[in-house]
Formats: sequence, structure tokens, C-alpha cells
Amino acid sequence: MIILLDFARRKGSANSRSKANDRLQTVLAHDRIGTSSGIMEQVKKEVIQVIRKHVDTEEPEVSLISRGRQPVLDINIPLKGR
Amino acid sequence: MMEPSNGGQVVVITSGKGGVGKTTTVTNVSMGLAQLGFKVVAMDLDIGLKKLDLIMGLENRVIYDIVQVIEGECTLRQALVKDRRFPNLFMLPAAQTRNKDDVTEEQIKNLCAELKKEFDFILIDCPAGIERGFRNSIAAADWAVVVTNPEVSAVRDADRIIGMLESAQFQDIKLVINRIRPEMVRGGDMLSIDDLLNHLCIDLIGIVPEDDGVVISTNTGEPIILNQRSLAGRAFYNIARRFAGEEVPFLDLNHTGSLWDRIRMFFSKQVG
Ligand SMILES: Nc1ncnc2c1ncn2[C@@H]1O[C@H](COP(=O)(O)OP(=O)(O)O)[C@@H](O)[C@H]1O
Ligand SMILES: [Mg+2]
Repeated sequence: MIILLDFARRKGSANSRSKANDRLQTVLAHDRIGTSSGIMEQVKKEVIQVIRKHVDTEEPEVSLISRGRQPVLDINIPLKGR
Repeated sequence: MMEPSNGGQVVVITSGKGGVGKTTTVTNVSMGLAQLGFKVVAMDLDIGLKKLDLIMGLENRVIYDIVQVIEGECTLRQALVKDRRFPNLFMLPAAQTRNKDDVTEEQIKNLCAELKKEFDFILIDCPAGIERGFRNSIAAADWAVVVTNPEVSAVRDADRIIGMLESAQFQDIKLVINRIRPEMVRGGDMLSIDDLLNHLCIDLIGIVPEDDGVVISTNTGEPIILNQRSLAGRAFYNIARRFAGEEVPFLDLNHTGSLWDRIRMFFSKQVG
């Protein structure tokens, strides 16, 4: 009975801690460079424009991450093959 | 952290967010350092909203305040309130009827320079926020302690404060995680020590569990550190020892849950 109760409790809430971690990761990275999270969509649009002048690309992934306390812009642009 | 014999050190206890445990930390760590034999001043810079006198249980002994010292109405010595329990512990009260703009960074620096000659540790209780009161509080500090709780808004504010301390050229910034509830962390519903360290990337100097004894001790004015049977009291004493440069292992909070938690742990070990 104890085990069941514990299991039920854990199942419903196991992700509130990981959700907190995900949200913090994003919000801290933006706080550190002083931007709002909406800015990433804009960066994405403009990056794609610049690159597509030269090569054809898939949809890029643009995200702000942290290495230690250092915010890093992580851009991943898969190129289209022939 | 310097050796106290090199003259006193000024430590600011700060957090950004209010209500995370700055005043509780200043009170208990000051008392712990006094227990260890150091000469200590706990300085309240929450001008206009003073609380340190009350939490230390010294409110009836207050005669003058820090603004009166700065304005020359009394001497520093007259304003220092002597603790009831430790002859080497003093408190410098904030003014209640003034505001933060009544003191400048320069004045705090001068005051601390004076205190450093005679005391080993000067702990500054910083007000919440990032404005004038915060800047005054960090102006004279040799190093800083950031207090936070395992909770998103407190962590966000702690991060902001750490950034501001770094911009102000602080080399030595330490973290106190207060009000942790190990059983909630185990249940996946509270940020863990490691989570906080991963986000904030500064060194840990203390972990203080949530403890009802803290609330009781604020009622009575007898700081929790005086009760070494309480977990929070021991945690604060360990922080004081780390201030003094000792290497003290962190308390293992995983084996200190309620009986119910221990029974649950026992059963979960049986299954997994
Ligand atoms: N470890 C703890 N366990 C339980 N209550 C705590 C703990 N630390 C602080 N508190 C309570 O939280 C409240 C805010 O603490 P305080 O030290 O005044 O915060 P701050 O100075 O940062 O505003 C107080 O009522 C205090 O008793
Ligand atoms: Mg306070």
C-alpha cells in the first residue's frame, strides 16, 4: 500500500522539478544577455535569410544556451543536399 | 576568504528577492562566528525596514542607529548593541524612520574601515532589491554570500545578483541554499542542490533545510543556532565554520527525513 501511494504521488509530479529546470535554463540565459525570449524567432528569420543567399537550408534551430555562466547562441542549420 | 588575523573581513549577505533568509543567515552565522571566538558585528542596512534587532532578540537594547552614527549624533561605539549571550558579538541597527537615500556608499565604506580595525567579521544584512540599498551594502564588502531558495523566482533573482556582483568585480561569491526539503526533492517536486549549482555556477557555502524551529526562534528571539539539536542550527554552525576557513562536509539531508520518509525509502529500496 505504501509503495502504491508513493508511486502514484511520484507519477503525477515527477516533472515539476525538470520543468522548473527547463524554464530556468531559458529564462536565465535571456536575463544574462538582457533580451526577451521572443527575440530568438527574429534571429532565426534573419539568419535564414542571410544563409539562403548562398546555400539552400532546412529550417534552422536557434537557441540560447549557457556554458557555465556564459550565454551561448547555439545555431544549427542543416543544409539541403542535391 | 582571508584569515581573520589579516584584519577584519566584510561580508555582504544578499539575495535580490526578499524573504529567502538573509536576515536569518546574518543572525545565525554571526552568532556561530562569535561562538567560535571571533569578534563580530552584524550590520543591518535594511534602512527603513529594520528586522535584524528583532531576529537577534536585541530589540530592547537598541538606543542609536547607523544613520545617527553617520550624521554624527552619536559615536559608533555608542550605537553598537552588545549581544546578551556572547560578549564578542555586536549588532549595528538600521534606522527605522529614515530611507535608504540617507546613506551613501562612501559613508558605509568609512564605517566598515573603522570596524575592520577592531572586528574579525562584519556581516552586512542587505535589503531586497537591486537599487540604492543593495549598492550601499556591497560597497565595502570583501566577499559576498548569495542566499536563495530552491524555487524558480528566487533562483532567477540570485542569478541577477550574481551578475551584478561580478560586474562590481567581486571575485569571491558563495551560495547558501536555504529552505530545502529533501523529501520534496526526492519526490521530483523541488529543485535539488545540484540543479541550483548547475544554474548559478558558484561555490556552495551552506545548505539549510526547511525547519519549523526557525519560525519558533524568530518568535522567541533565540536564534536557531543556539539549538544544536536542530538541523538548521547545525547547518548554520557549519556555515560559520566555513566562513572561518574550515573545511566542513555538508550535512547529509537524505538520512534526516521524517519517519514516514525513512519508511518509504526503506520500501523503495526493497523494490528497486
Ligand atoms: N530554513 C528555514 N526554515 C523555515 N523557515 C525559514 C527558514 N529560513 C527562513 N525562514 C523564515 O522565512 C522568513 C524570511 O526570512 P528572512 O531571514 O527574514 O528573509 P530575508 O531577510 O531574506 O527577507 C522568516 O519568517 C523566517 O523565519
Ligand atoms: Mg531581511
